[in-house]
Amino acid sequence: MAAHDVMPDIELFQPITVEDASAIAARLDGAGWILAGGQDTYGWLKDRAKHPGAMIDLAAIEGINGINATASGISIGAMTTLRDVMRDPLIAEKFPILTQAAGRVASPQIRNQGTLGGNVAQDTRCWYYRRGLSCYRAGGNICYADSPEGMNREHALFGASRCVAVSPSDTATALVAVDATMVIHREGREKRVPAEQFFIGPAINITHMTVLRPGDILTHVEIPNTWANTESYFEKVADRDVWDFALVSIAAVMKTSGGVIDDARIVCGAVECVPRRLRSVEQALSGKPRNEQTADAVAGLASGGARTLNHNQFKVPLMENLVRRALRT
Amino acid sequence: MEIVTVREDVWGREVLLGVSWDWLWVILALTFAAIVVHLLIMAVLRKQPRPSAAGKRLTRHDNFDRSFHWIMAISTLVLLFTGVLPIIGYDFNWLTIHWIAGLVLTGAVLLHVIRAVFFQDFGSMVVAPKDLKEPFEKGRKPGKYSLAQKGMHHAMTLLVLVVIGTGLVLFLQIDTPWWDRPNSLAESTLGWMFVLHGVSTLGLVGLTALHVYFALRPEKRFYTRSMISGWISEDEFSANHDPARWMPDETARS
Amino acid sequence: MSNEYLHIGKNFVPPDIYGKVTGKARYAEDYSVDGMVYARLFTSPMPHARVRNIDASAALAMDGVLGILTADDVPAVEAPNAAILTNEPVYVGDPILAVAAVDEKTAENALKKIKVDLEPLPFVVDPLASLKPNGPSARTEGNVYPSEMQNLQWSAEDLNRFQRGEEPTGAAPTEWSYGDLEAGFDNAAVVIEESFVTTGYAHMSMEPRSVLSYWRGNKCYVHGSTQSQSFVVPFLAGMLGIEQGDLVYISEYCGGGFGSKISAYPVLGLPGYFAKKLNRPVMLRITREEEYYIGSARVGFQGWMKAGFAEDGRVTAVDLYIVQDLGPRRTGGDASSAGGAISILYQPQAMRLRDVPVFTNTTPRGAQRGPGQNQIAAIFEPMLDKAARELNLDRLAIRRINAPDSSATLNADQGPVTSAYMDDALALGGELFKWSERVQRSGQRRGSKVTGVAVGQGYHSAGASGFDGLVRITPDGKLHLHSGVGNLGTYSYASTTRAAAELLKCSWDNCVVHHGNSSLHLPWSSYQAGSNTMFTHTRANHVAAMDLLTKMKDIAAQTLGGDAADYDIADERVFNASDNTRNMSYAEVAAKAIELGGAYSGESYPEDIHEVTQRAVTGIAGSGLVGVAKDKLPKRGTAPGLAVAFCEIELDLETGKHQIIDYLAVGECGTIVHPQGLAGQLRGGAVWGFGMASLERHVYDPQNGLPANVGYYQTKPPTYLDVPSHMGWAAVDKADPDSPVGARGIGEPAMGCATAAVMCALSEALDGHLFNRTPVTPDMIINHISDGPQATSLMAINTF
Repeated sequence: MAAHDVMPDIELFQPITVEDASAIAARLDGAGWILAGGQDTYGWLKDRAKHPGAMIDLAAIEGINGINATASGISIGAMTTLRDVMRDPLIAEKFPILTQAAGRVASPQIRNQGTLGGNVAQDTRCWYYRRGLSCYRAGGNICYADSPEGMNREHALFGASRCVAVSPSDTATALVAVDATMVIHREGREKRVPAEQFFIGPAINITHMTVLRPGDILTHVEIPNTWANTESYFEKVADRDVWDFALVSIAAVMKTSGGVIDDARIVCGAVECVPRRLRSVEQALSGKPRNEQTADAVAGLASGGARTLNHNQFKVPLMENLVRRALRT
Repeated sequence: MEIVTVREDVWGREVLLGVSWDWLWVILALTFAAIVVHLLIMAVLRKQPRPSAAGKRLTRHDNFDRSFHWIMAISTLVLLFTGVLPIIGYDFNWLTIHWIAGLVLTGAVLLHVIRAVFFQDFGSMVVAPKDLKEPFEKGRKPGKYSLAQKGMHHAMTLLVLVVIGTGLVLFLQIDTPWWDRPNSLAESTLGWMFVLHGVSTLGLVGLTALHVYFALRPEKRFYTRSMISGWISEDEFSANHDPARWMPDETARS
Repeated sequence: MSNEYLHIGKNFVPPDIYGKVTGKARYAEDYSVDGMVYARLFTSPMPHARVRNIDASAALAMDGVLGILTADDVPAVEAPNAAILTNEPVYVGDPILAVAAVDEKTAENALKKIKVDLEPLPFVVDPLASLKPNGPSARTEGNVYPSEMQNLQWSAEDLNRFQRGEEPTGAAPTEWSYGDLEAGFDNAAVVIEESFVTTGYAHMSMEPRSVLSYWRGNKCYVHGSTQSQSFVVPFLAGMLGIEQGDLVYISEYCGGGFGSKISAYPVLGLPGYFAKKLNRPVMLRITREEEYYIGSARVGFQGWMKAGFAEDGRVTAVDLYIVQDLGPRRTGGDASSAGGAISILYQPQAMRLRDVPVFTNTTPRGAQRGPGQNQIAAIFEPMLDKAARELNLDRLAIRRINAPDSSATLNADQGPVTSAYMDDALALGGELFKWSERVQRSGQRRGSKVTGVAVGQGYHSAGASGFDGLVRITPDGKLHLHSGVGNLGTYSYASTTRAAAELLKCSWDNCVVHHGNSSLHLPWSSYQAGSNTMFTHTRANHVAAMDLLTKMKDIAAQTLGGDAADYDIADERVFNASDNTRNMSYAEVAAKAIELGGAYSGESYPEDIHEVTQRAVTGIAGSGLVGVAKDKLPKRGTAPGLAVAFCEIELDLETGKHQIIDYLAVGECGTIVHPQGLAGQLRGGAVWGFGMASLERHVYDPQNGLPANVGYYQTKPPTYLDVPSHMGWAAVDKADPDSPVGARGIGEPAMGCATAAVMCALSEALDGHLFNRTPVTPDMIINHISDGPQATSLMAINTF
């Protein structure tokens, strides 16, 4: 076995329009690799664990970087850096949950380079998969993590279908909570996919984390005003306070009137291959006051249906605790 | 073009991954070609007069056998679609339906095998040396099943048993409501299971397509009707079968 | 007292800082020579295997590929010593061969084309799996290594007892003891008995150990990364099969070693052999992943300990049993060192240590900052707190009552110490940290958070003797300080030379420190490990400076008349004490020395100096006034390095995460020589100590022997946001009598006390619950609080 650490020979395309980027990506099919901030690219390439023949660099494309108010909400270009998302006053005012989520991604250095689009489209962090083993997710026919003695501390409680990897993105959790829409360009046409449907689990497709396929370019993330200026809570629990991916995270938004919850979106990260909507909790909250008693009453619903692995049982009480913390004032 | 694909196991050794699915298009193309060729030949050949469906009705397949057939047919089609569509790029939640259909097929096949071997005329489905003369001797009529039907059944039997056998082995390796993934197979063995499962699937794609084609052919359609309603007419019987070798009972008309 | 000194106890700018801050510092990988080729390693994908065949033909046929180096091209070693390359890899990542090409990319591409046929062999990643009846052995030659390869299997009952955490009954090949253990326990008011696991984890030195090597005739040049400098020379020369004088070894900067780069390690010699084979300079670049594999790790402990305490808190007896996870290679005595640490820190009246050193197919282990001492501190200190609670004693008080003083004894032979003032450290820290005030709020709840206030202690022996010093004054008046000490990042290569500058009353601006390259005439030195350098080399520099001073006075007397005893020094001049008009500048003395020759200018030297020093003196002979001597000053016992840490944490009971609100470390390491250096050790050691307590560990999948935590992301060293932004420090600053400067070392206990303090604080915050395992991670805390089972079985090691 070789511990590679050198960039391979690879072609570089630097298109200046989304149409060109999409056309190149569609033509190259699986041999093309979309390059945004590169934070989930160079590791794969240098380790020679993935072997695209070409990188398609989006940096020169205009119109997909920046944050703008729209008639019905906010539009964020997919190439906007996480640092810019985190510092944007408009997002901070209307959707502080995204500000907090973006601010908890990785480290300041990574946020300077990493983009919002890249953050939601990033690949999972299962250490077996990242090591370059040919498991299901890599196109193989086996999972090493979900095995009798597998080292699966960071893996999924829900939605496993042969693969037990989890969603690693912090912003994804927040974007699902605020009903964001992913705007995808494909060969001259635009597709709009609700955030919740953008992420897919292994039962649907075991080699992809999202609906993006060769030829698709995620250009914008749009957030409607539905959840603007509502009460919100974001928390990410990780081993270290910087750099680490979440062990469990939570993004909650609530519409309240007189302290009573009318509607809520509660989403957990890192417990499933996709950001997990806690629908049973959301339903139980309707009409309840936002307080400690409600928190304690519904917390247990969060983990319903969990199927634990050897090393991840702790995620069950941790999920419940995060729901409690989200619902306390 | 390779028949199989390979991958590296956990220790970097090359092991089988599965059949190369490019062959799916080859199989489909070949099957399609075969169907087209047969269609043309049959269109060109002098048409034989069709026997009449009226008159006395004789029982060809009883309730049990028809139920078996259709349960096996539907589960096989469900298995084929849920198994193959994701491979060619259609994303949907296929695995649970696939193994449920697989268990249904397994159950049906098991019952069918027990019934056919111990409670029915097993020999009537087996190709005997004398059956091989059938295509060459004009006027020679078969017993209950023709050489072609027996041959198709043999091929189906082999492929279905292989796909079920390997399918069950693979089923034991996934999470189910009854057990957790044991990862108990050596990776090379796992590879063989996937290869055989895939090869037999390819065979089943071709054979199923051919089987459906023949079932819809005008001169064979009465057989298809008999698999739905259970009977063939006396006329159809005399035109196609040797009473010395097979004499069905009269059907009780409903 | 420090403030009487010119240099001792004062800060200075170590010469290597400029390079480090500006980026001009050249580490081994930064060097380039004409014709250099690039080598890359092919390492084992299996935890234990035998090479059946190597087919490199496709790689060798590639344009730009120059050749391969296999185990057959380098000297064979006897198991379980470390090999440069191997045909029986014993862990995932074990180097099997190297390939060289004209550039890195070609070398990488060539690696892919090499086919190595491996036969898998039985493997273990948990020592207990090897001890069970008919259990697999990590090595074909045996599974344990007390002092030679042996086979040891326990009975099923022995193993079950051990796995349940009960007093072990399995055979232990190594044992030492002193005192009456039974009486010690009989006389105890409280007996605490716990089983424990401290998982090993990688050093993960910041600089991967790349090496450049080339030959010029018979001379071999090696640019490497080691903690030591002169100490490396004989071992590296031996590895390469050459005379010491034919080796030029350059290691001016070392980006961290922490015990993994103490001396010549196997890969240091690999490019030398490769360069000889190819007749080209060879740069072997080690990647971060490879650094995880070959860069050493801490020995793991699975153990059991029983400690008896008298009513007043005095430790009466300690019975310690340790199964060591050695990795697959021979390594030193962490278990014995653990016993030693207990014997000195708590002064038990009776002790027994039993030790089972077992091989596993995990990355090779070696010394890691406080090897043995720091593991046991993490475990014993919370047990001490438990005893304090049961005896209703203050947790600081129980440490004070057991604190070693200058009459302390340690180890199996119960030998003496040079001095020890641990009670002073505890008292000083207690006062600065406002212990009696803070401890009131230990256990207090604030929402979901609970406070924990604790104190922890660390120890390591911290001084050696018998090494050489070499100093020289040249006719331009400069004092040349020849330091054979390696630059492992503590600045001791420079700070220890200040003892010479001090004695000679030289301005630091007139001093030149020579270090980092064996052709710069550097004297024989200790290894830079085991916290010894500050003690050892302030002494060595002192005796060399004394030699120079003596000669200087001689020369003055010869030149200006009178007796040497009449002369004194000041302002870089030597003068007659009764008539200071009779004086010479240092520069003039140096010129005179050259004229006089002999011992004055290094043309002759003392018989007892080391071969390395002899070559160094020969190299500078005739260039000035030379002071050279072997340190033969008395040393009455072990020079201890002691440290105490106080911390206050806040633990969130809902997330299992804790924050260190405040931290204070107090060093008991004799006179402070270099305050910034000491602060760096106390703080830097603390950071790593926090990592050991709550973050870092080996994780191996027992089904296939693969490591889960390769790379900085998964090894999880603490980050800026995981450590307090302010960490206080202080030192007792009481001179050790066995050193003219009074200094002892501190590197290792600086880490152990931090680990102990955090382990104790977590326990405090959880009503005294002992996890008896390092690291204590958020998931373990969550499982404990929610009354759920822990994910791992009690004694499992190398697991999440």
